[in-house]
Amino acid sequence: MDVSALMFYFFAFLIVAMAVATVATPHPIYSALYLAGTMVLLAFVFIGLGAQFIGGVQLVVYAGAVMVLFVMVLMLFDLQREVQKVTAHFGQLLLKLGGASAIAGTLVGAITMSSPMVLTRPGSPGESAPVISTLDLSRMLFTEYLLAFEVLGLLLLVVAIGVVSVARMKGGTHAQS
Amino acid sequence: MLNPEATLRSLLDVGLDHYLVLSALLFVIGMVGVLIRKNIIVMLMGVELMLNAVNLTFVAFAHFAGNANGLVMTFFVMVIAAAEAGVGLAIAVAVFKRFKAVNIEFFENLKG
Repeated sequence: MDVSALMFYFFAFLIVAMAVATVATPHPIYSALYLAGTMVLLAFVFIGLGAQFIGGVQLVVYAGAVMVLFVMVLMLFDLQREVQKVTAHFGQLLLKLGGASAIAGTLVGAITMSSPMVLTRPGSPGESAPVISTLDLSRMLFTEYLLAFEVLGLLLLVVAIGVVSVARMKGGTHAQS
Repeated sequence: MLNPEATLRSLLDVGLDHYLVLSALLFVIGMVGVLIRKNIIVMLMGVELMLNAVNLTFVAFAHFAGNANGLVMTFFVMVIAAAEAGVGLAIAVAVFKRFKAVNIEFFENLKG
């Protein structure tokens, strides 16, 4: 077992543990912190996969902006107690968990059974994949996907205006007011 | 499963499948979060977890296929997910102002 396999299993175990903690813990603030931890660990996995720019963007945008936004909104609500954290009926809960397990089993089974058939790149199976860099990503982003890139900027502008207008309605934000 | 040595070797030789299985597990955990939790903010967190799982799939394929299109798609997904998280939280704030609660049981009916 080499170092990269060990690192993969270490990060994979921690990521799954923190994801389950996100979903299972009753306090929403702890949930947000576990999710931030999951995203930071995922950024490390991205860097290990050779996507350093994407790992950096994950850290800055997801763990640094989106999760901070979640925590700020939770602080704004100032919830004193959670009335009902999970689905009430035990039968419904069992049905949901059973359905999710069935989907998980189907996905994992499909992945493992189709792995010898997956052709990820043209060419002989012996050669290793070309190493991609941030330069390749940026070249594609500014030549092939330029329209999508610009439209994304426009989308961000529209979303910023929309968010401010939706959250601007009258009313107090404290749970006790 | 019949050959323990082959199973152990396939477990130790970390390849594309391992990342895909991790991504599938993360996706299902996020889906479970959306299904069983009743706090609207935690449901949004489950959606973010699902989007992160999809990002992991794209980055894994980009690495093992040597194709940078996966990274471009990841970038776009990240931008859209951040925007969608902002919009979802703005809606949650507006709903909280109206109903003084974030538990979805209190606004299950569309009439408000």
